[in-house]
Order: sequence, then C-alpha cells, then structure tokens
Amino acid sequence: MEEKLGSNEMIIHLGPQHPMQPGPFRLNLRLRGETVVDAEVELGYIHKGIEKILENKTYLQGITIVDRICYLVALVNEECFVGCTEKLLGIEPPERAQYIRVILEELTRLQSHLLGMGEFGEFIGFMSMFMYTIREREEVLGLIDMVTGARITHSYLRFGGVRDDLPDGFKEKAIPVLNNLKKAINDFEEMFRTDRIYRERTVGVGTLTADAAKSLGVSGPALRATGVPFDIRKNEPYLVYKDLDFKICTETAGDSFARVQVRLNEIRESIYIIEQCLDQLPGGPIFPEDTLYGRRTPVMRVPAGEVFHRVEDPRGEMGMYMISDGSDKPYRVKIRGPYYPTLQALPPLIKGTTVADVAAISGSMDGCTSEADR
Amino acid sequence: MDVTEILKSLTGKFPEAISEATADSEIRARAYVDKEKAKEVCQYLKDALQFDHLCSVCGVDYIKRNELEVVYHIASYDHPVVLMLKARLPRDSPEVESIVSVYWNANWYERETYELFGILFKNHPNLKPLVLPEDMLGEWPLRKDYEGFPNKTARNLV
Repeated sequence: MEEKLGSNEMIIHLGPQHPMQPGPFRLNLRLRGETVVDAEVELGYIHKGIEKILENKTYLQGITIVDRICYLVALVNEECFVGCTEKLLGIEPPERAQYIRVILEELTRLQSHLLGMGEFGEFIGFMSMFMYTIREREEVLGLIDMVTGARITHSYLRFGGVRDDLPDGFKEKAIPVLNNLKKAINDFEEMFRTDRIYRERTVGVGTLTADAAKSLGVSGPALRATGVPFDIRKNEPYLVYKDLDFKICTETAGDSFARVQVRLNEIRESIYIIEQCLDQLPGGPIFPEDTLYGRRTPVMRVPAGEVFHRVEDPRGEMGMYMISDGSDKPYRVKIRGPYYPTLQALPPLIKGTTVADVAAISGSMDGCTSEADR
Repeated sequence: MDVTEILKSLTGKFPEAISEATADSEIRARAYVDKEKAKEVCQYLKDALQFDHLCSVCGVDYIKRNELEVVYHIASYDHPVVLMLKARLPRDSPEVESIVSVYWNANWYERETYELFGILFKNHPNLKPLVLPEDMLGEWPLRKDYEGFPNKTARNLV
C-alpha cells in the first residue's frame, strides 16, 4: 500500500485485536472520506509453525497437532491428515468407522456454521443472534463430547478407524437435538428474511460474481453462494459420502446474505446426512481386521511416497500434501487451508465499500485466522 | 476430460519442458517441469485444459540431493483431476518465475514459500515476509538444516 496520502485521505488499522476479527490479523484501510480506496492484510500474529512441528512428531502425535490448526473444525483437519496417512499406508477404515467419521464430521460442520452465523450477527450489531446460535451449538458440542470426550481438539480419529465406538444411547440422544436444531434453523431463516435492518446490512453487500470468486481462489460457502456447485464431498468423494444422499447448496446472489443462506441450507443437509448415517450404521469392527493398525500402535513406519488429499471443510477446500520418506515421521506436510485464499481475497472485495461494510463482508466469510496463519 | 488426455496434451505441447508425467490415479497426476518454463506451462494449463483453480504452492527441501523443489497443486472447478507440477531448483540459488499473473491467489503462497524456504520468485509484485517477522528473513526455517530453537530462535531474546 502506498504510504503517500492525498488530501482528505487517512489510514486506519483494524486490529491486530478488533471485535470484528476471527483471530488476530491487521487490516490496514486507506480511506477517502468513508470509502475504502485500498486495503492490505498483515498476517503472522498467531503463526504456530505447525508444518515444521509435524516434521518432528510421529504420525500419531501429529493427530493432536493438526487439531490445533483450527479448533472449530478439529475433526475435519484430522480427517485430512489421517486420510493422507491412510493412502500412504494403503489401508481403508471398515465401513462402521467410516460412518462414525461422517457423523462426527457433519456434527463439526453444524457447530462451525452455527458459530459462524452467530459471530456474523455480532459483527453487524445483531447481538441476540449470537445468543440464539450458541445455545444450539452447545447441544451439538454435547453430542461430540459424548463420543470423543472433548468439546474441541478431540484427537479422535486413528489410522484405519476411530479411537472409540459410539457410546450406548447415542442415537436416542442425537435425534432430539437434531429435531430441535431443524426448528431453530427455520426460525433463523424466518428472522433473516423478515428483519429489515439485517437485510439492509447484508443484501447486495460484498457481492462476488462466479468468475471473480474463481479467479480469487475462494472455495466453500462463499463460492457456492455465487452459484458454482463445487463441493469436495461430491466432486471427489471420500469416506462413504458417495453412498449418501445430499445435494450441494447454492445461491446465485453472491452477497453476504447469500453466504449466510448457504450455511443455513448446509446445516439442513448435514442434519439429513447424520440421520441417514444413524439409520444405516452397520455393525462390525472400528479398525481393519488382520492389521497392526489401531489405537495400540504408537510407532509405525509409513512407506515412502507422497499424496495430496482434499476434504470439504465447513469453510471450503482443505487439502494436505504429505511426503513420507519411510520413517516414523512425515518428511513434509503442506497444509492448504480454506480460509487462507479467502482472507487473501478480502482487500479486493472491500475496495470501494464503506468502513461500516467491512465487518459485514469479512464476517460473512466465517473466518479463522488461526488456520490461515497455521 | 480425463487424466490420460490431460497428460497427453501437456507432453505433446511441451515435449522438452515436461518430464516424468505419470498418472497416480484417475484424479491425480504428476509431472516435473523445467523451472524456466513453469509459468508458461501454468498459462497453458489454465487456458487450454481448464485448470482454473490453484490449490497451493509449496516448497520441499531435498537436502540429500542438494535440491529444493517447488510444488504447484493445480485443480479445476470443472473436472476432478489435480495436477502436481514440480520444478527442481538448485539449493544454493533457487529461483523461479512467479505465476501471480496467471493465478491471482499464488501471491500469498509464493510469499510464504519465499520466507520459509528462501525460494526467490522473480517478478513477484510484493515479495516480502507474510507470516514470519521481518528479522527472521534469511533463516529459512522449513529447510532441513535449520537449527531452530534454541540455537537460533532464542538468539534474539538474550
């Protein structure tokens, strides 16, 4: 960003700590009057060096580290890391373990979307929205807690399976929670549709076209809100997603309102997926039989090779590139998070808007700086 | 468009620059590219083969071979094939042409690869550290010979 200021121009720094932000980063805005004429993002306040740490940990220890990329979607991060390792090992989890993983990952999607919508409401001054969604989210977290023993950072997936089977009575507990959530989602949608102030803050704000979103490298709900049906669960199915019935939620407007609408619809689809999984859940082992892999293999050597595996994170496309040199530690892991390109696309999106809309645009992206910085 | 067709078109267009082009599966392919031609190949992939989505750019340090590799993962919004395009760079002067003018979102990936590996991206619009503090520039922390904590990192603290 140019340092020289014209008359009636000023630079304001949003952050590194600001209520609008999903984690610390600095947003330098160059303003003319109230209009943003230039913007720049500065990262690095929460850089944890996870890629380097993973090179110095065994594969099993790595599971606990990838949890910390973004604690909101810990299970999806684990799925990506464990999926890479399983491909290198050449093993596949038994069907029951795959169904359990899908249930847990869709529950993760539910709670991530709920928190994302609540935070977005808070950013644009709709404080009660946060209270509504966080109440529902807590119920979902209770279900995850029941299976994994932790609300966030679960360390639950294992190579070739999951750590523990579903507890007794999980289905009986889950069904009422999901039914309540369905009602709540209808209420939220009605509220968004009829609230005049909410509509004025979001409709037509931060509009992305499909071509712009593609060239900016955006994925996830922000891309689907522009009408592009791009979802890794359909395009490149992993686990048992190819056997399940669900559709890709898209909108056409591409603005902040459409992005939240996509998340609402995705919550409905996720509930539908979980219900199917609970009905179809097969019996059997949660680890592949006749192999050494399982929860009791702390040290294992992974055959040399390299793999790039993608999964659908609540925020978009999560990918990991893993290289093994045949030892018990990965040689290199590159983490391609979904929010990284979205955050990179923030400056071009907010150029030409007013300062008040910056929060409405940035918040509707449902960010996580921790994952962008890694 | 399937993976054999893509590889055939790529090796047909650049018979000298592309080597070791193989398909790992129906949706994964890999190829080595001459570092001088990396940008040109990316442009061709985007224009002719629908590879309009850059997943990531990253570096890998192969210290035993005394080489760095820069790896581009290029995918598409239309077909499921992901191409892993690699360029070998000498470890003492790693330089490669920037692809920001082809894929806009390569900007941050190249900045990150630069500060972590010391790979210089020529003609990059804004090549400065992204996630590291500026006084760590030149340490190249993701290279395998980085001494790390406490030998180097703590030096600034005492």
